[in-house]
Formats: sequence, C-alpha cells, structure tokens
Amino acid sequence: MANEKVDVVIVGAGASGSVYAAVMARAGKQVVLLEAGPDWQLGELISSDFWGRRIKPAGPPFLLEGKNPFGYVYQAGWGVGGAALHYFANFPRLMPADFKVKSEHGKGLDWPIKYTDVAPFYDKVARDVGVSGDAKAEEIWRPAGEPYPMPPMKTFRGGDVWKRGFESVGIRLAPAAVGMNSTPYKGRPACIYDGWCHVGCPIGALANPLVTYLADARQAGAQVRTHATVTRVLTNPQGNKVTGVEYFDAKKEKQVQEASVVVLAAWSAQNPRLLLNSATDKHAKGLANASGLVGKYLTAHFASGTSAIFDEDLQPYMGTTGAQYFSYDRYDKDAHKAKGAFGSTFIVAGSAQKYSGLGGVANSRGDLFGPELAAFMPRAARGLARINAFGEEMPSVENRIELAGDKDDFGMPLGKITHSYNDDAVALFNANFDEGLAIAKATGAKEVWSNRGAMPTIHLMGGTIMGQSSADSVADSYGQTHEIANLWIAGPGLFPTSGASNPTYTILALSLRGAEHLASSWSAVAG
Amino acid sequence: MDPIERRVFMQGAMIGTLAFVVDGVETMLTPRQAYAQGVVLRTLKPEEAATLEAVGEALVPGARKAGIVPFVDQQISIPPEEALLEARIMNVRPPYANFYRAALSAIDRASKGAFTALDAAGQHAFIDAMRQGTLDGWQGPPAPFVYFLLRTDAVDVVYGTMEGYAQLGVPYMPHIAPARSW
Repeated sequence: MANEKVDVVIVGAGASGSVYAAVMARAGKQVVLLEAGPDWQLGELISSDFWGRRIKPAGPPFLLEGKNPFGYVYQAGWGVGGAALHYFANFPRLMPADFKVKSEHGKGLDWPIKYTDVAPFYDKVARDVGVSGDAKAEEIWRPAGEPYPMPPMKTFRGGDVWKRGFESVGIRLAPAAVGMNSTPYKGRPACIYDGWCHVGCPIGALANPLVTYLADARQAGAQVRTHATVTRVLTNPQGNKVTGVEYFDAKKEKQVQEASVVVLAAWSAQNPRLLLNSATDKHAKGLANASGLVGKYLTAHFASGTSAIFDEDLQPYMGTTGAQYFSYDRYDKDAHKAKGAFGSTFIVAGSAQKYSGLGGVANSRGDLFGPELAAFMPRAARGLARINAFGEEMPSVENRIELAGDKDDFGMPLGKITHSYNDDAVALFNANFDEGLAIAKATGAKEVWSNRGAMPTIHLMGGTIMGQSSADSVADSYGQTHEIANLWIAGPGLFPTSGASNPTYTILALSLRGAEHLASSWSAVAG
Repeated sequence: MDPIERRVFMQGAMIGTLAFVVDGVETMLTPRQAYAQGVVLRTLKPEEAATLEAVGEALVPGARKAGIVPFVDQQISIPPEEALLEARIMNVRPPYANFYRAALSAIDRASKGAFTALDAAGQHAFIDAMRQGTLDGWQGPPAPFVYFLLRTDAVDVVYGTMEGYAQLGVPYMPHIAPARSW
C-alpha cells in the first residue's frame, strides 16, 4: 500500500531521528517518523529492573561474532525514544584531539570536521534539552563554551567517597554534565534522585526524546507511525535518487512511504543493514556503498569498573544512574602509553546503584553465588560504590556489519556483527583496572575489587562513517551520503572514531548540525 | 510538588501485572504468591521445573520460595516482546523456552543424571564449574552464559522485587511502582 508522499521520512524515532523530525517539522516540512517499536508514554516507564527490559528489543536482529561480540540488545532501543529512553544521560563532549587522531598519532581516522564545528551545537543542544553541570570547571580540559543552563546536580556520598582516591593519583574531578534537570527547566520538573534513570525517567526530569525533540517534532506536526519496520530504501530507476522506503506495519502488511528525502536514524547497526538490504542493479553492493565501507569501522567503548565497600551508609540507591563526577585527566591518547595502551579514557564516579539488573549490586560480584552471595548482598546494600573508566577503541575495517543468510519475520536478512578488540584496547582496559584499584585503595574503603569479566562492548559507533569523499567514507560531515544527495544518515554511525565520551551528546549535536543544514539547503537536496 | 508527594502521586500510574493460572482462572500474582499457590506450569515440564528450582536455589538462596519457577515459566509462555527476562536483552533468540530447555537439559546431562540428585556440596561445585566453563560433557549454550542468565533470574526474584529491597533494608523509591510489589 502506498501512502501520500511527504517531504521527509525518518527511519527511527530515537535521539537522532527526533532531532531531524523537530528541525524539519519546524521548517514547515511534512515529516513522517517510522519506528519499529511501540509508542511509549512516560507513564509506562515503571521503576523496576524487570520492567525496564521492556523498552529494549526482544531478540536478535543481529548475529554476534568475533573475539569480543558486541552486546547489541541491552544497549539498543525499541520504540519511540530509542536507546535514549533508557540512557544514563551523561553528557560529556568529545575533545578537540578526537577529531584528528590519524593526523596526530598515525592511528585510527580523522574526522572531516573539527571540534569548533561541533562546539556551537553542543551549546545549542544544552539549551534545547537542558543540561546541568559546570562548564567553567570543564575548561581545564576543553575550549570555553556557553555555561550550562542549570547548575550541577546534587552529589551524594557514593560519589564523594572517591575524592581522596582520585587526589592520590592526581586525577581532577568536575561535576558531571548530565542531560537532567537540577532545577525545573522548560516546564519539566527537577530530578528527585531516585536512581531509576536506566529504566526510563517518567517524570521528565531526564532529557529523553519523549520530553525534548520528539515532543517538539509532534508539536510541529510530525507524524509518528509505530510498529513500522522498515526493510528497504527505494530508489528511482536511474539509481541517483531515493524515492522513499518500504516498511511493514503493525498488521505486518507491506507499505510504501514516498518522500523527497530519506533520513536513516536507526542506530549504527540497523542503518548499514538497511543500506545493504537496499541493493539494486545500480547499487549492487548496497546504497551509498561504492566505497565498500557501509557496515565497516564499527567501534565500541569498554569500561574498566572498580568497586568498593565502605564502612558507612552511602545510600547507594540514591542519585542518578549517570555520574556525579567526571574527569578527562586520562583522556590523552597516550595517557597509558607506558603500559602499551593507546586511546582515551573517560572517568566517571558516583552512579546510583540498584540491586538486580545488569549494572546492579548483585552483578558487581558476578562470581559469587549461594551462601557467599547471600552474605555479600546485605554487606554491599548500603556501603557499595563504583567508579568506571571508559576506554576508546581505534576503528578497524574488520569490525563490521554484514547481512547474514538467516532472515527475520519480514524476510529481511539478519545482520551479523563481527567485533574484536586490538592489543591497544586490551592494554588500555588493563591499565584502567590497575589505576582504578589504586584509586580505590587510597579511599580507605574496607573492600576493593576490579569488576573484571569478559571485555565489554558499550555504545556502538561507526558503520556509516563520515569523511571527505566516497573514497574514504559513506557520508559527509552533515550525514548526507556521498552518492545519493537525498539520502541522509544520522546517529553515532557517522563517528569515524569514538573518543571515550558517552556518545549521545555528540549524537544530538551532530544531528542538529545536519538537520539545520538539510533545512537550509532543502531546494538543492530535495529539488 | 514536594518530592515525596510526587512519589506517592506517581504510584497511582501503575500498569502491567503477571498473569498466572490458578484453578483454571487467570489471576494476577507475584511469583512468590504463584509458588505458594502452586500454579499450573504452562511450558516447563516437571523435570525441567525441578532442575530450575534446584539450580536457582543453589545460585541464590531463597529463589525457590521467591518463585523462580513460576516466574520463568510465565515469562517463556508469553510473546517475547512482552517478556521481562534478562535473556531478552542478552541477544537470546526467541522463543526463550528453547534456551531454557537447552540449558536445563545440559545441566542435567552434565550432572550425570539429574542436578537435583546432587548433594549441596556437589551442587555448589557443579555450579562453580559451570560458571568457569570447566564442566566435562557440557552440551548446550555456553555454560558461563547459562550461569549468568539463571543467576540473574534468581537474583531478580529474590532481590529485584520490592520485597527484596525490603529484605535488604533499603528503600525502593519508585517513580512508578511496579504492580504487585515488583
């Protein structure tokens, strides 16, 4: 079934798709957002680690391979808001050096833009969604920008107890910048520090898309169709323009939505899967894939966590799942060079701890079971605190997404994600554990340990990287694909390198930059 | 609005319950209540339920009475997109019953009969080997992954509920309270 043609169809109603929808709808364009999952309402975001799993996909659209298989589902979104419905809302920026890793170190890739191209959009996003923090305090690490619109969040003992340890190794802390309200902002209430951010904030104090850009988009007339699973991007016979998308609706009936511009905003894994599945005789390797780089250069972050039990009531269940403090003092790519490591490290301290669930207290000692676990839980219930050091992985063309032979319910090939860390990353992972333990021991805690396990994959970036031309990349710095002018890509898939910072703030900033450029160049793009 | 007042206000917005069958009637219960009332299992066979119960109790003391069996059975009997299991977010391919069947069968086979036949020390040693992936004769999903998921199920029903928080002496502090105390 064909629907009336619109100006823009956006695939995915998460962080990046919502920005595009808001900007384009406010520019007077007819916008349709197609979202594979449900139309969540704030009132459905139950404070429970059980119920929080509902806002993630059920089952794998991806097969996972490699030495360090990517933990896809627990980080993915399903439904409006996408992964930003359950993100922790840590809002660190990338640093200037992140944009020129290849030039400065001969490793990784360069971005086709500089920090100064993105910085104004960090400031705009902060005003749009509400960010709490101390921008002045961050200027020890980055160029000055605008102050954040709200002061830092409250701190709790679970963060403060780490200060002495960080001082002992010369690491400076600043109040964490977070996409949360320390004070009422734009009609949304201040946070009440109940620590359930990771399962969705139903009061709107945390800047998820439902209360920010997606709400703006709807207000401006954007139409959101949920349970709409896109399987192909369609092209004209010449293959030089996209004409819309094919999708299956809630009744599993095939539909076509024609549009002047298609924006793929379905996350780093799903966007390449769609491009590869949209191959035609004119684009035999998939759309926008003359370079052969669609699906390539996937990157992930890894976290080296350190836990400690203190002999006081820290009320670890209080606060926010995001950090209270952060530091870029180990962000230099060579900060742990002496240990054979390469890449940035971003450090956070003071996350609220709940008791079950993936990041819960019970999993801080995943090796314990039986009577030992039963003894540990009450001991940790009030005294546990944790820090995390996020590490950067350099892009490798071998870390990739491809189509598999197996198919999903809609007949679309599953994706296969192959991911392995290289020696630089493993060395950085280990170096951060070493330093974390030194920090913990200097706090005076009564028990300290490293949260070692299989090397995790956190956040998913790359796969449709930006660059100078179709020889080295899939899209330009705005997200416009090199080969098809009216096919755009949004989200972390555009990142050529990942830095070590949580990606959502950069996703929002890049999306705002791209969407404003699309709106201002509309005639040339869609004409 | 005062934060405490807001919490109370938001508790009025509860949705979602777990449905169990008692005496042929669908009833909303917690897994603990379901265990106590002896609900009819929909998917797990009796021997599978016995193994799950024993493994769950050995992983997290209290899991049996907290209802690990009715919880898992109910969760693998509903559409996967409604499931609240950790398996959902660990890339296990639906239907989830296939994973549990394979895992429980692997445990019994590697136990040289039935896990339930091992004494407490034997069960503890078996699980420790499962955790480390060192069991001889293991045929099924990777043993450490089975350990992780079954341990999480047991942690869920014992510590992840409002009752579990109360048992630990910590406040639950929901914005929106889950129905039926979890």
